Amino acid sequence: MNKPTALQPATLLTFLLLTLCAGQAQAHAETGVAGGLISGFLHPLLGLDHLVAMVAVGLWGAQLQKPAIWLLPITFPLLMAMGAVLGLFGVPVPGIEVGIALSALILGLMVLFSVRPPLVVAAVIVGFFAIFHGHAHGTELPDAANPLAYGVGFVVSTGLLHLAGIVLGVLTLWPAGVRAVKGLGGCITALGVYFSVASFGWL
Amino acid sequence: MRRLLWLALLIPVPASAHLVSTRFGEFYAGMLHPVTTLGHLVPWLAVGLLAGLQHSALARKVLLLFPLAVLAGTWMGSELNTAAWVGIVNQSSLLILGLLVVLARPLPPAVFSGVVMIHGLSHGLGNGATDLSGNGLLLYVLGVTTAAYLLVTLLTASSHQLVTRQSWGTVAIRAGGSWIAAVGLIYLTFTLLAAP
Repeated sequence: MNKPTALQPATLLTFLLLTLCAGQAQAHAETGVAGGLISGFLHPLLGLDHLVAMVAVGLWGAQLQKPAIWLLPITFPLLMAMGAVLGLFGVPVPGIEVGIALSALILGLMVLFSVRPPLVVAAVIVGFFAIFHGHAHGTELPDAANPLAYGVGFVVSTGLLHLAGIVLGVLTLWPAGVRAVKGLGGCITALGVYFSVASFGWL
Repeated sequence: MRRLLWLALLIPVPASAHLVSTRFGEFYAGMLHPVTTLGHLVPWLAVGLLAGLQHSALARKVLLLFPLAVLAGTWMGSELNTAAWVGIVNQSSLLILGLLVVLARPLPPAVFSGVVMIHGLSHGLGNGATDLSGNGLLLYVLGVTTAAYLLVTLLTASSHQLVTRQSWGTVAIRAGGSWIAAVGLIYLTFTLLAAP
């Protein structure tokens, strides 16, 4: 059995030098504009129930094509802002969590079965659920590090999720893509079922 | 092992060599103020998007009108005490300009010029620096004006190109307008509710 060899001086010096290369601690919570922007931006991304519903809006818009492809993603932020205003005024909207969960379920079903209602009906469905999402964001806004930055963050994040849905919806240009998008709708529906059951407290 | 030693010396760490407690000079302070304040930056973006939706001749007007209005406003805001209504007008501009972008209608020249000048003036007033005088104030005002010119020129040119050259350009601009209007509605409500 070989005896362990002693460390060479150069090796030791290298290790010592490496210990001097200190990384940043990043231990501070963000404040001000950065804090507001980050927390607002991450809010829809970290909440899977928000995320799938926003993507579903984009997917459904892409399935419905013009003019729904741009009307739905414009309707959503404006009605979401109305919901946020209700939240700021402290107006109670019953069943916020249930509404958000059902939005994933219903919008997922729309994508799964490629439902094609009249444009106004589609806009009403999307706008109705946007109010629940907006209310949830709005009630948290006064506690944000920077309310304006928080608002910018969550609106931009929401818009980018719609855009992600629209980009995925480009797949509908191909026959296999149509099935793939419907499959995504099925996944969103399944998650919506889970969120709905959980929001009723049955899990 | 010697190579490893040399490699270890190449590992970069942040220098942190900038003095954060000193300023970059009044010109750059003026340039950075609106660019680093979302309450000014976002409405200025909306001005550029709105201009991009207009006819070329009208869109070009904004390149002159907006910076001049900002120049006048910043100068007045630095010399006078800014009234409380300026803040409300500036916060409303997010909603008003955002909705105008969503509608994407060609505006009559007088209306467009009026909208641009009123918002330029009010945002200029909001950017006023009352603690400066003489050359410092002049440099600061020129800095704010330069930022206004650069931002609006870049945005107007980009959005106009998008609208005229891409079939989806107007849709993208309108979607951006809906984001701005949504933020404006939320922030204006929050500010009015928080006001004493």
